[in-house]
Amino acid sequence: MTALLHWLTFLLSIIFIPVLTLGTIRKTKARLQNRIGPPICQPIYDLVKLARKGETISSTMSGLFRLSSLFVFADILVLAWLTPWLCFKPWAPHSNIFMVVYLFAFARMFTLLGSLDSGSAFGAFSASREATLSLLVEPAVLLALVALGIFFGSSDLRVIFSHTTNQTFIGSAIWIAAGLAIFFSSLVELSRMPVDDPTTHLELTMIHEAMILEASGRNLALIEFAHALKMSIFFGLASQCFLRAFPQFSTFNVYSQSGLNIVGILGLALFVGLLESLIVKLQWRKVPEFIAYILSLSLIASLAAIGAGVIK
Amino acid sequence: MNFFISVTAIPLATVILSLTKLKVEQLRLVVPVMSWLQLGVLTFLCLPALQSNHSFLTLSADFSIEKIGACFLLLTNFIAAASITHATCFFANEKLVGRGEDPQHEKLYYAACALFVTAMSFVFLSDNLGLLWVSIEATTLFSAALVYFSRDKHSLEATWKYLIICSVGIAFALLGIILIFASSQHGAIAGGSLSLRLLVNHANELQPKLLQFGYIFCLLGFGTKAGVFPLHTWLPDAHSEAPAPASALLSGALLNCALFAICRVTEIIQVSGHSFFATFLPITWGALTALAASFFLIHQIGIKRLWAYSSIENVGIMLVAIGLGSPPLFFFQALNHSLAKVALFLLSGNIIQSAGTKDLKHIRGILQVSPSWGITFAAAAAAVTGMPPFGSFVAEWMILSLCDDFVQRIAAGVLLFALALSFIAVSLHVGRILWGKPKHQTAVLPTFSSTLIPLLLCIFSLLAGITCLPTFFLDQP
Amino acid sequence: MMVTATEICVLTAALLACLIVGSLHLKVNLWLYALSTLFIALATAAAALEHSETGLIVIAILIALLKSIAIPKFFSWAIDKLHVYRDLGAIIAPPLAMHAAILLFALSFILTKEIPSPAGPGYGWFGAAGGISLVFTGLLLMLTRRLAISQIFGFLVIENGIYVFALTQTKGMPLMVEMGILLDVLVGVMVSGLLLFKIQKSFEHIDVGQLTQLKEP
Repeated sequence: MTALLHWLTFLLSIIFIPVLTLGTIRKTKARLQNRIGPPICQPIYDLVKLARKGETISSTMSGLFRLSSLFVFADILVLAWLTPWLCFKPWAPHSNIFMVVYLFAFARMFTLLGSLDSGSAFGAFSASREATLSLLVEPAVLLALVALGIFFGSSDLRVIFSHTTNQTFIGSAIWIAAGLAIFFSSLVELSRMPVDDPTTHLELTMIHEAMILEASGRNLALIEFAHALKMSIFFGLASQCFLRAFPQFSTFNVYSQSGLNIVGILGLALFVGLLESLIVKLQWRKVPEFIAYILSLSLIASLAAIGAGVIK
Repeated sequence: MNFFISVTAIPLATVILSLTKLKVEQLRLVVPVMSWLQLGVLTFLCLPALQSNHSFLTLSADFSIEKIGACFLLLTNFIAAASITHATCFFANEKLVGRGEDPQHEKLYYAACALFVTAMSFVFLSDNLGLLWVSIEATTLFSAALVYFSRDKHSLEATWKYLIICSVGIAFALLGIILIFASSQHGAIAGGSLSLRLLVNHANELQPKLLQFGYIFCLLGFGTKAGVFPLHTWLPDAHSEAPAPASALLSGALLNCALFAICRVTEIIQVSGHSFFATFLPITWGALTALAASFFLIHQIGIKRLWAYSSIENVGIMLVAIGLGSPPLFFFQALNHSLAKVALFLLSGNIIQSAGTKDLKHIRGILQVSPSWGITFAAAAAAVTGMPPFGSFVAEWMILSLCDDFVQRIAAGVLLFALALSFIAVSLHVGRILWGKPKHQTAVLPTFSSTLIPLLLCIFSLLAGITCLPTFFLDQP
Repeated sequence: MMVTATEICVLTAALLACLIVGSLHLKVNLWLYALSTLFIALATAAAALEHSETGLIVIAILIALLKSIAIPKFFSWAIDKLHVYRDLGAIIAPPLAMHAAILLFALSFILTKEIPSPAGPGYGWFGAAGGISLVFTGLLLMLTRRLAISQIFGFLVIENGIYVFALTQTKGMPLMVEMGILLDVLVGVMVSGLLLFKIQKSFEHIDVGQLTQLKEP
């Protein structure tokens, strides 16, 4: 019975948390712009509307474009199942750090292939930008997760994110540093501010939007949902990092932990909405410097983890 | 408190006088008199300390003076008085040559000089490592004003390099002093102490690791100020851009201050028995410095840069003397070097004034322009490179003969090679300057006033060598 | 292992200083320096509370006022007057230099492990590591920047590191010496600032990479 309840809650979370995240971001931006804005559940209505529409496919495309969006959707679903972004009881047997990062890269590869397949200049342009940025930011994410792994002595994300040992000061510092690194690199991976304004549709600056420019109808629904789910996964990991920095968090029961985690995800979404309204997009040549700052956070986390291991 | 007034009264009066509306010509008469007066006052102050090897005069809480410090104090003020006296003639001659400077600059020069000499005096008087550090930092700041005298592009560049490199070096010396203080806190001195006397007395009880690290940093830091080999890059620029009397002070007095600080710190670590640091480091580094400087001497362009590199070489020799554990020898070498180097710089100032250029390629025939200059110049150059019968020969001989074990012998060999190389290089350059026909329109300057001081200094250097002055200093118990 | 408030503040100051190396924007450098120095003042105040030394509170206030507020304000004014807002470039790229600074920060922990510290709260390994890492960062800053003003920043960071080292490794430096350090920094900064203007006037730039006229051939 409890297993069924868990599965149901998991399905509902997969459907609603990405929606709520996106909705929160849009609502925050609207409010800061003195508008009322769309309701928070608007993304659901958008997805349903898209699913009912027909598709327009360019004649230069092969079947790869539609296949890629399916692959991306499936990949992100698998990731949602594997990574411990919710604080529920563990589902999958193992969830290796490298496997998770490579699955993200797998999704990214198919997004790139799909955008190249469309044959337009926008697709190729944004594909190259996306490839560059993810090349630069992947070490940051990897190093942050590896730092956590070194500190807790395991390369399994399930083990790391369920840790209940007594926190030392260094442990809290590593959690916070890793959390910041994951959060900011998610901003880069998801092409949000300060790397790319998702509401801009200027050809020279789009990264993510240009890749999905050619998608329409059900394809677009799949891609948009996959993107929102990816955002929720990253925010879930980051918020757990911030929450676990407090030693008392591991003493709560599962339900309070999950509740706090969801509040954390929405809080991060609020923060992203604030960021998007208040700061300016970085110039393209400044983005690697921004990524370098993220990498230093990860470096600090990993050096502290190695140091903590050496001291013991 | 009495001593404080006696050390600072006359320089402060000089500063105040320089900054009032007195005309420069009047200042030129007053300032040298005051500097010689200051020398007299300090001699009177230090007389008790000079009497025996271990006499020790506590002047105040953190100030004391003992024999070697008293000798250095008197040497520094003597050099300062000589340099200031020559400076008055030098600046008067600037007008004759047609390069009259803004009189305001000259008054600032006298003020900065007085402050500079006071700061140097405090280096030798302080018993507290912290005060020693503050004094050396003060000398950096005041001498920067001297280097910046001519206010053109080259001197600006030289001043900038000087300030930055020496400030960073002094900061490292501060780190070393903090480490030594920390080592004293772990030892038998309750609460730790910066007092040099206490540190030397309790040297065996100081925490060894902290002391060793502290010594390395102090050597690095004060060595930057003294101009040891890899950190000497500021020295040729600063010494060549400052006006000649200021270069004389910088070379003849300031390097002694920095080396004196190194000597004090080495004394602590030598008594505590860490022989590697106490002897190996200073000796090898000194030999390396001397060797490097002698290589640089071969191909030089400016006349003052030549003497700057010769100063670096002598710094290396003095560092070896410090490493051998013999402060009296260190003083003797410093004495000879200062006398000869100041004479050289003052004469070089005259030569540059009359030839109108600093370039060694364009200066020729000094013996024809002014025989007295030429002979004094040759004598001073011989003194600096260590020819007998000048004092530096005796000093270097005694330093080399004190080298006992294997490493010291190797260092002695390197020193000998460096000395030979530098002798050849300097003689070549000096020979080229002295003989031949004067190339450019050389102005003729009054001979007596411009030659008096250098001549006196050379004579003193000769006397130091002939009259077996070392026996006065080396009366070991 | 117990980490005291002093050590936390010192390590934060050291990390903030590492970030200075990563940006060529002079005002950003100044802000980070001011923040880092503020944390050092907080560390001094924490040390004063831990060891109940009232002299340290005076020094903490002095550091906060002079080094954290007055000096950055002075340099901000100087930057505006010089019309130089960005450093020209470093020998190695700023992000790489920042990562090198962080690696040196880790290295300083290894180097200072063997240094014996006094017994008591707030004295210890982390403080010495923070101090030495600040010195390393300052040196890195001086070596990798081309503008004269960045070299002064490097010097200031080195002085911060030496002060932190004194704070955490000695049971109370004599007040006189700490005043001497403060005075030295102040006077050095003023003199350097004045020279900066002269250099700008003479050379039309403050690029020390081009101050190479006095050299042997």
